Amino acid sequence: MTGRAARRAGPPGSQGRPPGIWRSPAAARLRDTAAAGLLAALIIAWAAVPAAGARPGTRITIIIAVISAIASLGRLATADAQVGGHAFDTLPVRAAAQAIMATKFLPWSEILIVAVLVLEALHQHGAWHAGVLGVAVLAYLFAVHLGESGTRLRALAPQLPVLAAGLGVLVLAVAAAVLPQLTGGPGELLRVLAVTAAVVAAALALPVTRR
Amino acid sequence: MTSGPASTAAPAGPGAAPGFVTSPAPGPANAADGLPCAVLWSLSAHARRLLTLAAAGLVLAVVTGRPEFAGVAAPAVLLLAAWPARRPGRVTVAARVTAQQLVEGEQAAIVVRLSGHGDLAVQATITAAEAFESGPGTEQGAGGSAALRVPFRVRQWGVRRVGRLDIVLRDRFRLWEGRLGLTLPRVECHPRPAELRGRIVLSRLPSRLGEHPSRAAGEGIEFAGVRQFVPGDRQRRINWPATTRTGSVQLNTFTAERTQNIVVLADATASVGEKGATSLDLAFRAAAGTIGCYLAAGDRVGLIVYADRLSWIGPGLGRRHFHRLMDLLLGSQPGWELSAALTRLPKAALPPGALILVFSPLLHPRLVEALRDLRERGFSVLVVDVLTAVPAARSRDRVAGLARRVWRLEQQAIRFSLTELGIPVVHWDGQQSLDEPLAPYTRRVMLAGRT
Repeated sequence: MTGRAARRAGPPGSQGRPPGIWRSPAAARLRDTAAAGLLAALIIAWAAVPAAGARPGTRITIIIAVISAIASLGRLATADAQVGGHAFDTLPVRAAAQAIMATKFLPWSEILIVAVLVLEALHQHGAWHAGVLGVAVLAYLFAVHLGESGTRLRALAPQLPVLAAGLGVLVLAVAAAVLPQLTGGPGELLRVLAVTAAVVAAALALPVTRR
Repeated sequence: MTSGPASTAAPAGPGAAPGFVTSPAPGPANAADGLPCAVLWSLSAHARRLLTLAAAGLVLAVVTGRPEFAGVAAPAVLLLAAWPARRPGRVTVAARVTAQQLVEGEQAAIVVRLSGHGDLAVQATITAAEAFESGPGTEQGAGGSAALRVPFRVRQWGVRRVGRLDIVLRDRFRLWEGRLGLTLPRVECHPRPAELRGRIVLSRLPSRLGEHPSRAAGEGIEFAGVRQFVPGDRQRRINWPATTRTGSVQLNTFTAERTQNIVVLADATASVGEKGATSLDLAFRAAAGTIGCYLAAGDRVGLIVYADRLSWIGPGLGRRHFHRLMDLLLGSQPGWELSAALTRLPKAALPPGALILVFSPLLHPRLVEALRDLRERGFSVLVVDVLTAVPAARSRDRVAGLARRVWRLEQQAIRFSLTELGIPVVHWDGQQSLDEPLAPYTRRVMLAGRT
């Protein structure tokens, strides 16, 4: 039984260090992390540039965004890593274990999202600028989700109609924002409320249409 | 229809399959037949991020008076609004391990059958214990039930729990995650047997029927010679050509076929060397290979594990005996404390005339004394040295280097003294076949009591 199977497995020379039988998920993890990293860099750059002439608080928001981006990427890259945990670990191993623990301490992706939206709000770009940022942030969220759950892109297929509807509403909102502005404060507020109401109405209507 | 999270943990029910423990409260059913398990539902990290985006976008839209931020929040709001309604509070899980007994490096799988989860996506992963390696699970689901096969591989011999099986249920938008877990049972992993084809045969064998041709004449099938016929001999053995040539009736004689007693002594007092290829690993792999090889030849094999507690099984035959010996190997606790006082191995474990094969790094002085004692008692002993490591020393540390040289000299002295006593010592590094170091002794008959 077992002896024959073991002999088939090869000579005992490779004892203790059997070759991996399954493709290492490291490559997929690296690809997902790289995609999320690129998108994170893109959304920070898009929301932060130009840094000069922005309102106060821009610099600290950029710093927060960069730190949270790095930490969220670290968390994504080291999701499966098991470093340290033994009594006699060396100093670098213990430091690495602490660093990995730190990435899991706070919801860095959420902080990044809030930071880039605040950055965008601190700048006086056009409405289309915020629209593009919204699409990029969404792409970043899905990249992080795919990386975390280890699922493939096709797992998102059921969400595509809803996502398309959401992007449609986003385009409508941006279009509403670039329309010639009404004069006075009450008109502007009215416009914001109208767009918000449109978003909520679409959200309420969607589950009915889905079924 | 959402269900509340199950927070209670309970042991497996009275009829549960051995080894499987569910973390949520299981029912009374058998794990192999199906065990109702509570599902712990929570918002997924993806949903939390979408929620953050939606909230931040809407708040900024109102605060800054810029409607485009409400548009940024729109996709997230729509996705969150499309939450599925159905989240089952309990699902039925049937799990089994494809093999309870494995050899190092062999692969097995956990087969999980899940029902009652509806159209939710199922993902199963093994959080493998240290000596295991797990692979990606594959789903073969259809309709209302899903069958998942999660492969795993054993890297190190021993009796251990595989780890934990985590099952995650996800809705189609991946906003909710339902989790349940099973603690996987213990599996028995035998050491990977070292390759051994040749057998050492003693010149003097006990008078038991076996497969080794002995020097004595008997009822075997191997031709031994011709002698003159005496009344009472069987006529069918008459050698007619010799009879014609000599003019008197000549008879063929054959060798007797005998079995031999082998006692394998595995030294578990020390485990030094690289992880996965320590002296203990090599000793047990060599012992497993030797036991399998000699039992396959119809010999009677016994085992002594020289560890913190001396344990042995006397020589025996057959497949069941093989498993008894493997159980003894796996059940032994490596160490040296209690056995430190033992220099004389028990007589019950050592049948007279047995060949004793010792797999040891020869680091324990008491074992060396025990080997000397065995030799003095007239046993044929052969030592396979499985030490592959030397004490580490920094290149510039002169004292450490000197200590290392002294240690080496001591080791050489031990081996030399054993050889002088008539106990051959061969070295096996675990890389090559065990046939190579044993070749000088397997090519010809080994003289019993003398070497």
